[in-house]
Amino acid sequence: MRVKEKKNRGGTNKGFPLLFSIIIVFAVLGTVVFSVARKTTREMSEAAVQNLNESLDLIQCTIEAILNKEAEFQKLMALEIARWENPEEYVRSYRKNQTMVKISLVLAGETEGISSTGEIFTEEGMDFSSGWTVDGLEMSSSYLNYMGTWAYSLKCPVIKDDREIGMLYVEYTFDSLDRSLPNGFYDNRAMLYIMDARTERFVLKPKGMGERSAGHINLADYYRANDILEEDLRAEVAECVQNGKNLMFYHDIRGNSALNYMWTVNGGSLFLTGYVPVEAIQQEGKTVNQNIFIVVTVMLIAFFLCCMLYYFNQRQQNKVRREREAERELHSKQLAEALHAAQLASNSKTMFLSNMSHDIRTPMNAVLGFTTLLARDADNPDKVREYTRKITASGQHLLSLINDVLDVSKIESGKVVLNLEEFTLGDLVSSVDAIIRPMAAAKSQHFQVEVKDIRHEYLIGDETRINQILINLLSNAVKYTPEGGHIWFRIIGLGQRASQFEHIRIDVEDDGYGMTQEYLKTIFDAFTRAENSTTNKVQGTGLGMAITKNIVELMGGTIQVSSEVNKGSLFRVELEFRIPEGQTDKLFREKSGISRILAVIGNMQDRDTVRTLINDMGITVDIVDGGEEAARVLRDGGSRGDCQMVLMDWDDPNTGGVSAVEEIRKVLPRTVPVLLMTALGGDSRDSMEEALKLECTGVLEKPFFLSALKDKVTEIRAEAAGNSQEPESAGAEGLEGLHFLAAEDNDINAEILTEILTLEGASCVIAGNGQLVLERFEQSDEGEFDAILMDVQMPVMNGYDATRAIRALEREDAARIPIIAMTANAFAEDEREALSAGMDVHLAKPIDIDMLKRVVRQYVRKEGKQRFDS
Amino acid sequence: MEKTAVRNCLKRTALCLAAAVVLAACGGEDGEDLNLVASREDVGRMVILFSPMEKTEPNAENVARNAADKTIAMAEEKLGVTVGYNTYTAENYQDKTYDDVAIDRIRNDMDDIYLMNPDVIQAMGEEGKLRDLSGLACAENLRDVVRTANTVDGKLVAIPQEVVAYGLFINKDMFDRYSLELPETPEEFLECCRVFKENGIETPVGANRWWLETFVMAQAYADLYNGENTEAEIAALNSGESRYSDYLRPGFEFLREMMDCGYIDAEKACVSEAIEGEGEDFLAQKIPIVMAYWGAANTETAYGKTDFNMLVIGFPSSRGQMPVMPMTGFGVGVNAEHGEDAMAVLDVILSDEALRVYAETNRVISPSKNVEVECVPALKPLNDRIQDNVYVLGANAGMKMEQWGNICLVVRQLLGGATVDECMAEIDRLQQESLAK
Repeated sequence: MRVKEKKNRGGTNKGFPLLFSIIIVFAVLGTVVFSVARKTTREMSEAAVQNLNESLDLIQCTIEAILNKEAEFQKLMALEIARWENPEEYVRSYRKNQTMVKISLVLAGETEGISSTGEIFTEEGMDFSSGWTVDGLEMSSSYLNYMGTWAYSLKCPVIKDDREIGMLYVEYTFDSLDRSLPNGFYDNRAMLYIMDARTERFVLKPKGMGERSAGHINLADYYRANDILEEDLRAEVAECVQNGKNLMFYHDIRGNSALNYMWTVNGGSLFLTGYVPVEAIQQEGKTVNQNIFIVVTVMLIAFFLCCMLYYFNQRQQNKVRREREAERELHSKQLAEALHAAQLASNSKTMFLSNMSHDIRTPMNAVLGFTTLLARDADNPDKVREYTRKITASGQHLLSLINDVLDVSKIESGKVVLNLEEFTLGDLVSSVDAIIRPMAAAKSQHFQVEVKDIRHEYLIGDETRINQILINLLSNAVKYTPEGGHIWFRIIGLGQRASQFEHIRIDVEDDGYGMTQEYLKTIFDAFTRAENSTTNKVQGTGLGMAITKNIVELMGGTIQVSSEVNKGSLFRVELEFRIPEGQTDKLFREKSGISRILAVIGNMQDRDTVRTLINDMGITVDIVDGGEEAARVLRDGGSRGDCQMVLMDWDDPNTGGVSAVEEIRKVLPRTVPVLLMTALGGDSRDSMEEALKLECTGVLEKPFFLSALKDKVTEIRAEAAGNSQEPESAGAEGLEGLHFLAAEDNDINAEILTEILTLEGASCVIAGNGQLVLERFEQSDEGEFDAILMDVQMPVMNGYDATRAIRALEREDAARIPIIAMTANAFAEDEREALSAGMDVHLAKPIDIDMLKRVVRQYVRKEGKQRFDS
Repeated sequence: MEKTAVRNCLKRTALCLAAAVVLAACGGEDGEDLNLVASREDVGRMVILFSPMEKTEPNAENVARNAADKTIAMAEEKLGVTVGYNTYTAENYQDKTYDDVAIDRIRNDMDDIYLMNPDVIQAMGEEGKLRDLSGLACAENLRDVVRTANTVDGKLVAIPQEVVAYGLFINKDMFDRYSLELPETPEEFLECCRVFKENGIETPVGANRWWLETFVMAQAYADLYNGENTEAEIAALNSGESRYSDYLRPGFEFLREMMDCGYIDAEKACVSEAIEGEGEDFLAQKIPIVMAYWGAANTETAYGKTDFNMLVIGFPSSRGQMPVMPMTGFGVGVNAEHGEDAMAVLDVILSDEALRVYAETNRVISPSKNVEVECVPALKPLNDRIQDNVYVLGANAGMKMEQWGNICLVVRQLLGGATVDECMAEIDRLQQESLAK
């Protein structure tokens, strides 16, 4: 790992020199390009200046050449005039042309002369004071001539015979210069004025020279209009004008960079003034700049590409590194989680073991302790009985603990399979009531059972597991409710979601200790118990609620709990049970001959329950409020009085009590049963002794269930017919005289079994494994053994194989001898396997002697009967 | 996947760059030509336009000039000619005036097209130096007042691009400050000036050597042009039956009083060019009143951008505020070197299409009866009067005595110290002179 990290660091560090190298390379390239661009710009600028110099020189020379030619021509003209007899005649005959628009002659000694235009001419108004000359001829300042255009004059002496006879003035317009100048200057983008140096007046703007819309009067106007206002620059310009110097400078003109110039012509008498936009003078500059820009752009793009490459490379590396780190972190996290889980598991295991240790040691301590006491007080029968009772209780608790642990284990591992069979709610409630009511009574608690809105009493479900749920909830209620408290057990029929299913809600409510909200969060977790001073007194495995919840969920139901400390708890279970098809309730009517029942019930809820259930059987039920009314109805006869049974709510004081029963009984035929309904374990049981003495009168325990009704009817009729079964004799209930073949590999268990059977008056032969059992059975005479008690897990041959082998024997009794599985394999599948192996019944160890007696009595008697029948 | 995509993208970019570099390297390699002389188009047909050029200011837009340039560009594009400009602007009052130079140039056939003031139009028209423009298509669209003002001896010698209307440009904020109503009559105007002066404004009216005559004309011809007998009265003046001096005297007396009261600085006015002399003070709100032409309210080189609420109203007269409308115009020299092209150029730049462009750019009254544009708010009072046909003409070629130039010159004499009587005598002389032609 460390090597890898080092490698990664190496990869990261390698990127920086690469980036640094790229930057250096591009910095050098950038510097070179910048230098080249700068040099190019400088050279271009110099070339531009040079170019403009040459252009201006050319224009200057052109103008000066024109001026010189004009002067030369004027001299020739003066010579010609000198030859004329009448020089003035020459002047008058002159016809103007585009260059020389007027000639004038002032003869020597005169101040006025004549002009070719006819008017009198004087030098007045012309300014020759500046001293400028052209080819030796004096040149005037510019002026607006008679044509409305700017003009200048040259004056030339007329010499005749070496004597000056006059002065020839020739007027030239600046417009004439325009014809000799190029049409446009720098692609018509340059501005050119010809300026008179003395007046600084612009006297000509050649065609095509600069912006058409710009027309400037003079130098000051030009500079103002173009915002050339810098003092030093203006001073420089003034000096140039003053001294006839050329000047060129850069200055923006209307936002564009321009090369401005002042260029002397004719020794400073005239100036070429204007500007050339740099763009115009450096047309190639744009291309050069574009090329430089392209190069720089390409370089920049290349640079950014390199940077991007570097960036992506780095990003890729970082990504890989991050992924590795994430992977490492994930592994570390998983390891930490695994460690934590292991620690938790270890803690749970420790906790579980601790709990188990505690929970097992507690009853074990009692067993061992009382065993010690038993040994000491063996001679004292009272103490022996007391100790054995306590040892039994502790053993039972130990057993329930083991059962719960195994249950949880099985449920959590998903191995629990529901054993769906038809059952009746009545039986269920009765069996639960039979268990809970004594427990509640022992703590002086009021246990109340309510059943309502149940439409179907016969349902399909795992009765054992439902029983387990109810016992768990109710036994907890008993445990965690102080003496004198109340416990309510309600079974309520809810609206059916589907016609094939009965939707039931089971409420178990108490006003006991209640639970804290914190504990409620973990109540359904295994091995949890409310730890406080009160509940610590209560024994429990802490598995009951976990088992309950798991079973409920296994059945597709829900369980909810609400509780408040010192106010009580409410467990609410909702379950759905399939309704069996083809219920036999309707047959009851035919079999019993009961088609009409008169019910004396005051409570509306009970009325509904009774009406719903009975009507479902196809039996008509008439309900009246009290006994007197019932007697009257029966006396009056009619359809209502023609009933085959009377149900009377004994707990309702308005029904009339014993006297009402007697009245009814008087009216009814003696074969028509009267059933007094009373709550299970109700206090009113004693008061009905009198009524029960009456003929064909019995008790029907509430809540009302059809099954109970049917059983009761059968029972009463049987009694009435004198067919009541004789109570089984004590001998018949015991095992006296029976002889068993027992398979048991454990000597202690074998001894216990032997002793128990001996105590019950039976005898047994012990075989150490299945093989021995088989052999012993083979050797036995037919009828020697009344039943075989078969352990399952045994060496050599297990119980299942032994059973199969026995059943396979070709002996007449091999197939029918009762084989009772007695095994510590206590699960349902163990039972199924035992039955499938050919055993008749399955009993789980430890041996419950009563259960054993009941089972043996059932199967052996059956066998005996069969034998008798045969 | 992502890595491959990035790699492909980079490859493509690199290829594109390489291609760009190769193209850049090969670019510009044109086929070689044996004759390296660059083909240069000849200047071709040229038309020379002579016009004044206002002194330009940096960063200031000359809207009027721009508007005119747009129409010139239209002509160049349409006709394939190039219009070259010759310009002249007097540097100061001692220089020759633009009108003088224009006359010289027209007489010497220096240019093809001339932009002329009314007096030049009349003078040159009378000398026969200008071509008859009535045959141009654009002439058919002219308003009657324009046609009348520019017709000399039966020839339409000039056509303007805008009807120039002169008015008083007033600083409304200053009027409001002193609770002054806008003056309608000369008396009210004098009263306003009195109030301003009393409140420390030395010379309430800014003036130059050109436009003071508008006061005179407004008072002189308010009744003539807005009465019932315009033609008869003009006929009487042309025959000498009536004297211009009788019309003009009240205006001159009014100016005299203004000068005497110090409401006008006569000395300064004498040497001031239009707008140059008084514009700066007006914009600086030192003076509340100046006079100027319509377009000055639109252009930044004049009064197009003020820091105060400016209004343009007519000159005070007996008939209320009175706009004065002289006519400038373009004419073509009779001997113009490029006469036919010049006529064609005029036909384009004075067409409805060009005049619409001009009017919309410059927001002026168009000489074409087919072109109407909305004026700027400041001009509304003046425009309302013109729309109501209440105005006096500053120039009328139908009057034998030229008005715009002559009265201007006489007003200058007044400014120079001449008495009103002397000025009237000069007017009489000028009338006689014109009648003698």
